[in-house]
Amino acid sequence: MLNYFLAGTIVVYVISALIYIVRLIRGPSTPDRVLALDALSFDLAVFLALLSLFLERPVLVFGIIPLVLWIHAVDIYVSKYLEAREMGE
Amino acid sequence: MINITLILGSMLIAIGAFYELIGAIGMLKLPGFYLRLHSATVSCIGGSVLPLIGIALIALGLENLGVQGLYITGTCVVSAIIILLLAPSGSHSLARAAYIANAVSKEPLVYDALQEKIRGD
Repeated sequence: MLNYFLAGTIVVYVISALIYIVRLIRGPSTPDRVLALDALSFDLAVFLALLSLFLERPVLVFGIIPLVLWIHAVDIYVSKYLEAREMGE
Repeated sequence: MINITLILGSMLIAIGAFYELIGAIGMLKLPGFYLRLHSATVSCIGGSVLPLIGIALIALGLENLGVQGLYITGTCVVSAIIILLLAPSGSHSLARAAYIANAVSKEPLVYDALQEKIRGD
């Protein structure tokens, strides 16, 4: 019962990730693409956690903390580059 | 006790999957950067923080995982708190940078109070 529920939720997250990838490729400007990458990364973090619960492999879940911290670093870098046209040295 | 955590976690995951799908559809269909920012923050908080807490509750309640379920619980709670703190600040800084650098078009905008404030002071 729980396995079917988790499989359905994983399918929903994969569909959402595909829609985010469409926006990531099609996005007209740079902030649109960074925003789509942001949402895609949080989606991927939840997807990895669900997959580790579904396959009962706790090794898969440890990657999501660096993923979440990395996407915040990307946000800060891109906004600093857009405001000041330099990467912050 | 265990059944309560399983049911509560499943409800949180179901609500989060709904939020995520709504946010993804809004991300695809809404016009303009600032409207997409709204749907992205909906999917970040509603679609990521709630399911991570739900996964933590389910991993706490499952018996066949044993001690290793606590790894999933701890990692999910920590990353949920990190997302809850960092995702709004990242979106806000991105929106501010896009506004100041004029990188996006303000297409459906009716009244721009921030422009008047910047120009007035």
